[in-house]
Amino acid sequence: MRIRIFVGTGGVGKTSVAASGALKAALGGRKCLVLTLDPALRLKTALRLAPGGGEQKVDLSPYAPKGELWAGMLDAGATLNRAVSLYGDPQQAETVLKHPVYHSLVQSLAGMQELMAIERIDQALTDGYEELFIDTAPSRHAMEFLDKPEFFAQLVSIPLIRLVGRTYKWLEGSFFSKVGRTSVELYARVEELLGANLVRQVLDFYSVFRTIAEGYAVRARNTSSLLHNPQTTTFTVVTTAFKAERDAGFFLAELKKRRFHVETLIVNRLWPELGTPVEGQAPSSAAGLAAWYRSVSSAHAQVWEKVSEKFSDRIPQLIGLPELPRDVDGLPALVQIAGQLGALDPIRTD
Amino acid sequence: MGVSSAPSPLVILCGKGGVGKSTLSLALGLWHAKAGRSVLVVSSHPLPELAVAVSLSGLKESYPDAIVRFFVVHIDPREILGSKVRQQIPSDFLARTVLSSKLYQNLVEIAPGLKELAFLSRLRQLADGKSHDGETRAYDLVIWDTPATGHFLQTLKVSRNFDTYLSGPFAILGRELIHFLSDPARVRILPVTTLEEMSVDETLEMCGELRNELGMPPSALICNLASPLLSAPEEVYLKLRSELEASGSNPTWRFVLDRHAIERQLSRKLREGVPVTQCIVERVPRWGSDTELLDILADKLGNSLSGVL
Repeated sequence: MRIRIFVGTGGVGKTSVAASGALKAALGGRKCLVLTLDPALRLKTALRLAPGGGEQKVDLSPYAPKGELWAGMLDAGATLNRAVSLYGDPQQAETVLKHPVYHSLVQSLAGMQELMAIERIDQALTDGYEELFIDTAPSRHAMEFLDKPEFFAQLVSIPLIRLVGRTYKWLEGSFFSKVGRTSVELYARVEELLGANLVRQVLDFYSVFRTIAEGYAVRARNTSSLLHNPQTTTFTVVTTAFKAERDAGFFLAELKKRRFHVETLIVNRLWPELGTPVEGQAPSSAAGLAAWYRSVSSAHAQVWEKVSEKFSDRIPQLIGLPELPRDVDGLPALVQIAGQLGALDPIRTD
Repeated sequence: MGVSSAPSPLVILCGKGGVGKSTLSLALGLWHAKAGRSVLVVSSHPLPELAVAVSLSGLKESYPDAIVRFFVVHIDPREILGSKVRQQIPSDFLARTVLSSKLYQNLVEIAPGLKELAFLSRLRQLADGKSHDGETRAYDLVIWDTPATGHFLQTLKVSRNFDTYLSGPFAILGRELIHFLSDPARVRILPVTTLEEMSVDETLEMCGELRNELGMPPSALICNLASPLLSAPEEVYLKLRSELEASGSNPTWRFVLDRHAIERQLSRKLREGVPVTQCIVERVPRWGSDTELLDILADKLGNSLSGVL
């Protein structure tokens, strides 16, 4: 099993690059899943997927594939429902699924999306994929997704939820003796601040959700260790010329801090150089346009040079990808990118 | 726009990731600061993550007068909630105990929508000229550089969700925020897009949701990173195109022409879907410092938006 995680700020082409990598591996004989955690619908367009959730097999028949390419988007709601039924007993599951807080929890995707990403990776691992290509949401959120296993494991292990579960019951008139005075005082303050109604609803929910969360945390910890193992998981930072230096430094530092292995830096969408013979042939009205174009492409070339020099000893693999004249849609464009990816990953498990 | 006319308190630059929201927010802010207004840019990214370094020293050298009126801030919702706690608990020791307790931290983390609500209410405070410590600091203009579309809409909808599942102070706050955000006299929505299919489609979808579900129609659209030919009249473009095509088939010219064709077509598509002013911001081919880039963009953007803001 190989996991490749693509990180980068918004709009740099993470999804296209991840999908191209998966495509390449699938053509070479692996069973691959490309999974996007980004709420933007890029993957759907890039691979022309049918509407609806779930994984879909991408038809690669024109390219005589030796393996399989599957694509999926993270449906946080569906993933959470599945987790609730998996980790809770039927009665607990029913209570949770009907609870008003549960619905707002699913809707408040800002946190849930990332949390469910870990769950979703687990599902993919048990579903028998050989290679996983994960396209994350932009920057800060990508980091949150990586922090989540830790966060969730901490959440149920301290044991906070157990404590608040009881505190809540105490408010209903029982269990007083089991809770320390400090906790009660603390709880009263928090309730005062956040509003009793809100706090009680949340606590009520979590007192039931706790068992489910514990089951989840065990798996989340396992996933977390998988993500930290460089034999299994490698990270690719994707960026564009405009942000390259800043992004590469930022992500490298953030990932290092979390003890993740950065294998590849991809500078995407570099403008190709304008061929020289045109100048004489083209009409004079195009001269301004040509000068403008040259200016952009030579600036890109300079950035690439500078970045290569700066990061070549810190990141094993550096790849520059050219801007395509058209938007990436459909397989032909992805095949084109895949051709330029080179050996995306020199470490092999087989 | 004359200096005398009062600018809208809150301008929202939203759109797909990577289209240039942060850079243009800073540029727009700089333009207004140069024109004598005090400006606050509320960034959704922690400042070290910004693609363009807000080099205060660089700006100070070029615009010593403007820089004293130009502010950039990143709002961390956890900090706002924290300052609320400190306000309500007079004892510093107790406040710190609450803030450092896992109970509090985790509740804030998991209570759905709490962080979003805290952020939006702080944003409104700033637009109202109130700061958290009770002092008044009125800005002539507050610019919100939003997170990418999905999270942006999410943040707006959360205040609505609070209303539907809770009663009490938070629900009231949620309702007030919706009212504030959909007041065209207070808030201007300026979606930013590049002229690429994905970005344009996302913009159209976002504008639909903003208009129909949230009552926040856009005031104008900003088309960023456009090529210089986009603003040329159709006949000039067509003439150049046919001449270039006649001159041979260089693949790179093909690239340039293809992109122009797509840009023109997408600009039309946008106009049909969202019939508001399109402000075209040409891609800056190269620049020296980040300050210089902001300065170039400030002039491009400020002038073309002057009729809208």
